[in-house]
This record gives sequence, structure tokens and C-alpha cells, in this order.
Amino acid sequence: MKNALHRMNPSVKFLAITICMFTMAFFFDPWTPLVFWAGVLVLQFFFSEINWKRWLLFMLPFFVTSFGYFWTTLVFAEDSSGSVVWSIWNLQITETQLNHALSLSFRVLAFSSLSLLFALTTNPVTFILSLMQQLRLSPKIAYGVMVGYQFLPVLKDEFVQIGQAHRLRGAGGEKNTLQRLLGVRRILIPMLAGAVRKAERAAFAMEARGFTGERRSSYFRVISMGKLDIALVSLFLFLLVLSCTHIWWLG
Amino acid sequence: MHEVIHFDKVSFRYPDEEKWILEELSFTIQRGERVVITGPSGCGKTTLLYLCNRLYPDNCDGILLGSVKLFGKNSSSFIPGEINHRIATVFQDPDSQFCMQTVEEELAFTLENLHVKRDEMENRIRDVLALTDLTEFRYAVIQKLSGGQKQRIATACALIMKPEVLLLDEPLSHLDPFTAKKYVEWLDELQQKCAMTIVAIEHRLDLWGDFFERSISLNKNEMAPILIKRKSSKQKNDSLVVNKLQANTYLQETSFTLKRGEVAVLAGPNGSGKSTLLKALCELIPSSGSVESKLLGYVPQSPEFLFLTKNVRDEVGFGGGDNTEELLARLQLLPIADSHPFAVSHGQKRRVAIAAMLSDGREVILMDEPTSGQDAKALSELFQLIDERAREGTTFLIVTHDMEFAYCLADSILLMNDGRLTGQFNADIVWSDDHLLMDHNLLSPKEVILREKCFA
Repeated sequence: MKNALHRMNPSVKFLAITICMFTMAFFFDPWTPLVFWAGVLVLQFFFSEINWKRWLLFMLPFFVTSFGYFWTTLVFAEDSSGSVVWSIWNLQITETQLNHALSLSFRVLAFSSLSLLFALTTNPVTFILSLMQQLRLSPKIAYGVMVGYQFLPVLKDEFVQIGQAHRLRGAGGEKNTLQRLLGVRRILIPMLAGAVRKAERAAFAMEARGFTGERRSSYFRVISMGKLDIALVSLFLFLLVLSCTHIWWLG
Repeated sequence: MHEVIHFDKVSFRYPDEEKWILEELSFTIQRGERVVITGPSGCGKTTLLYLCNRLYPDNCDGILLGSVKLFGKNSSSFIPGEINHRIATVFQDPDSQFCMQTVEEELAFTLENLHVKRDEMENRIRDVLALTDLTEFRYAVIQKLSGGQKQRIATACALIMKPEVLLLDEPLSHLDPFTAKKYVEWLDELQQKCAMTIVAIEHRLDLWGDFFERSISLNKNEMAPILIKRKSSKQKNDSLVVNKLQANTYLQETSFTLKRGEVAVLAGPNGSGKSTLLKALCELIPSSGSVESKLLGYVPQSPEFLFLTKNVRDEVGFGGGDNTEELLARLQLLPIADSHPFAVSHGQKRRVAIAAMLSDGREVILMDEPTSGQDAKALSELFQLIDERAREGTTFLIVTHDMEFAYCLADSILLMNDGRLTGQFNADIVWSDDHLLMDHNLLSPKEVILREKCFA
């Protein structure tokens, strides 16, 4: 049961998460996203085997963003009606302001952790295969993405090699960040030139194997849907309803 | 019907080029034949192959005159994808002809393309792996396999379609000599088991032995220049002294010395650490030990990796050398001095790279596999380039699999195996020592074999 989210059909997972996100977008109070965020964490804790250290590392920028939203909304709020609940130095913070700020920052946390839940429990190849089998994505796009995915490590090697070659020529020793960013452009041009050639070769190789881009009549690796998916979708929906109706049970 | 491929007065050109790349070409290939198509690069070998498996003319909007008949039918009468499983192709580059992660998935991808039923797939995958002796690789990740293994997997992927004709596009050009020879033997056995027609394009036939029954030459009245063994230009004083060089991961302690004007060849099996040694020498990767002569030049397999500017003249002068014009003249780069370095031919790119290195005052030049995928003409150009520079006092250390080339060029041979330099030998000693060659996946060059036959 611990790996349920990993075994869940990726397309179904994708749809469930999309629905959750769209619904959450219509709630502007701070409590809905907070409850939802907590729920996502609970789900992730019980039904996945992700590496929590890695999770924390990926969440770190979102925590920072969320705090940034919180603080800027407090300081630069337009609507400053309502009773003052908090005052620091000469800053008067009203209830409306606080609500807005909290709502925004919890929203960032809820959305980012939901996306991470998907990213950390889904194998990209399985996801593409599932999109093709369940959501009728065109094989042309699906296999195109797949080939690109295979090329990533090759491109990374090339990037390092070109960087090394440039250092030998005495370029690329820039100290400040802006110059270094501009220097990356010089590495990207030879890489792109190579990538175009590789892409053509890969396309020819696929065509020579009889790939025409038309729908396939049978798959070797069937990505199936089952009871597990129904159960997990229900859980997601339950969580969604729970967080949207918190007014009634939180009082 | 015994004619599988029939060309009748075929001419072909690309839409944006005036020149016809193939002109009034006629030939016939019979069922069960083993045919090789030879010719220098740029003569249209690959184009010809792509006409046979119908990748062209559709994919490049090329202009085709004359008639191409496949299995007695006009090639344009086949629907897309129909011809590809009767005429299967293995491509040159082992790195860019796969689109799935594992061998099994790659084979299944091919079967899915052919609309094979799911219950049948398992059997066909098992059969083709048994036929090709690759069963142990079924769950292997393709990107982690060696070049030779990848070429075998690519061949298996072609064979799973049960083709009548197998097309090979220079399948050996990225393999070391021993691996290449093993591949040819393996293919020979397969052909006898499956009784298919094999058509290959190849510019160097040495490694194939007597595999082919017939060859079609696309030479446009141009004799390929023959390389002649050069005279050594080795001088007395040392130019590169390497002492106990060691790189953190793979490369073990290495010491050797090269003289001024010496041309040394670094050889050994794929993955034995040759490129690592070169990179450690020019301090591109962290290493310990000492390298005397700080100014080492390095030309990677793709010379364009080095280029930083928008024209050849700036490129050569980038390091701030003051003899740019002289070097441009000496390396015959004046006619292209204002061209973009990406837009010149491959041989010229290498010339520009070397000129840039010399202009920086780097007197020792390390080259990583400059010979792979080069035809006889390009090789002779490269030979000349190195020979001239060496006579001017530049020292070369060249990584190559091409033993014919090494035989003509090298003063000394450095051999590597498993990240260890096994020794620095005088070139002539290496060629006659079969034991040494075998240990490093090398084969002795044709000239040496011929000479030995004469003596025997």
C-alpha cells in the first residue's frame, strides 16, 4: 500500500491533480489551501515512498516564494479596511490584509506540493505511454518526447565537453555571474548545431523501423487502470471536498 | 522475381542545390547477394541508401529522375512504412538510432510499428534475441552499452522485422578494429542463417575481409590517394615530459616522454581511458602528477566545440597570437579566412582548430579520434596536415582506431588498457607483435600482413 501513488495510473493521477488545482483556484480564504496542503502531505506520507530529504530540497524555493508573497502582501496591501490585528513598528496590519497574505502563501504551498507529489511519484516514460494509451496523445508527439528524454544525458556530456574545450582556449573564465550567463550562449550554439543533426538521424532511424506516426493497434507495455485508481481518485476528491467545506466543520 | 533492388538511370539532387549528386546511375541487386557500395564522402553513398529504403526523396523534397524499383515494383507505389520492414536499415551512429530505454522496449517499439499482435510480441523478441545471441542484454539499458553492443542491438532491431534486405550505413566507423572484426564475423553467421540480402556502404573495406561478393563503386573518376609511410621528423630535445600523471577516477599513474616533432599514436580498446588521458594532460579534468610543457593544444573529435568567434581569422587570432596571417597562409586557410568557422568543411574545421592552437604558441597537439568517419581523401588531407606540422617541430599525440593510418604516421605507439598505460613502443615493434595487438583489441595493418606473407 505504501507505493500506491507510484503504481497509480499516471494519466488518472494527472487528471485528478488538475481538477484539484482548478477547484482550489476559486477559493480565496486562507483555510482552504491550508487544509488541502496538510491533506496532500498526509496522502504523500501514507501512500508514497518518496525521499523526504529530496522533497524538502525541492520545496525550499517554494517556501521562500511563499514567505515572499506573505510579506509583500502585508506591506503593500491596497485594501486596508477592517480591524487592526497586529502592529509592528509603525505598520498596522488589518484582518483583511492578513487573510489575503496567508491565503496567497498557503496557495503557493498547496499548488507546489501537489505538483511535487506528481513529479516525485511518476516515471516520465510511463507517463508518456499512459498519455498515449488512455488520453489518446498522438504517437508522433509521445515518441518525440521519449527520444528527447533519451538524449538528455548525451546533451549534458556535450555541454561539459564544450565548456572544457572553451576553457582551454582561454574563454569561459569569467568571474561575474552575468558574464558567465552570456558565455553559456557560446556553448549553446555548437550544441544546437549538433542537436539538429542528431534529431534528423533519430527521425530517420525511427522511420526506417517502420514508424509512421499512426495509432498503434497493440502495445507491448500496457498501462492499465484498476481499483487502485478509483480508490485514490476518491481520496483526492474527498480531500478536495473536505478542504472546500471547512467552513461547516471548522465553524 | 529475383531482383530486389533495381536502379535504372537514376539521377538525384537536393532541391536547393544545382549539382546532381547521383547521375544516371544504373545497377541491380539480386536476392541473397552481399554487395558493398564504396566511394569518397560526399559522393552520394548515403543518398543512394536512403533511396533504397524510401527515406528519400520524400524527406528532403529531392528531385528524382529515372526509376527505382524495389521487389519489381516502382518504389513510389509503396505506402509509408510498408517498405521499411522488408528493407531494414542499420545506421552509422550508435548513439542516435534508439528511442527507448531498454533493449526489450526498443524491440517492442519496432513490433508495435508493424502492428504485431501483443501475444506474438513475446515470441518474436525471444526468437530474435536467441538468433543474434543477445539474450543476456534483454533488460539492459541501451545508453550504457558499448558501441559494438549498440550496433548489434540495432541490427537485432532491424532483424526482428524479418526483412528481406538489410542495409548497413558504415556500421563499423565508430568501433575499434577488434570489435569491428567480431561484428563482421557475427553478421556473416547471421546472413547464412537468415539468407537475406545485405547491402552496405563503406569507404574502408579492410575490416570486412572477404565478406562481400561484389562492390559497386561511386568514384567519380577520382583515385583515392594512397598514404605512404612518412619519414620520422623526431628531434633530439624533449617537448612533453609526463611524470606520474593520475586522474581521480579512472586513469592510473602514467609517465612518458615525447620528443620535438614526434608523432605518437595512442591506441587501445573503446573505454580504456584514452580520452581521459588527453583531458588530464591539458588539465581539463583534475589530476595529480606533473606535465612539463604547459602549452598543450587539444582538438576534440568535433573541432567545432572549440570555436568562439564569427570568422576563421578571428578564430585563429583569438588567443592573441601575433602571427595570425602567417599561420593562415601556412595552413592554406586564406581562401576561407572570412567564412564562419561552422560553415566550412569538416577537414577545414580541423585545420582551423590546429591553426588556432599553433597561434596560441601550443607546440604539442593532442587529437581525439580525428579519423573516425573519414574517407580516404579526408584521411590523406589529415595525414598531410600532421606531417607538415610535425616537420616544423610540432609534437602530436593522436588517439585513433585506424591502424592503417597509424602505421603510415606514427613514430611511436602508446598503448592503453583499463585506464593504464601499458607502454610506449617503437611503432615497428608493435605491428609485428600479435600478442600485444590482441591484448589491446587491435589488428595489424594490411601492409604489414602483406609484407609478412612475402617473407613467408
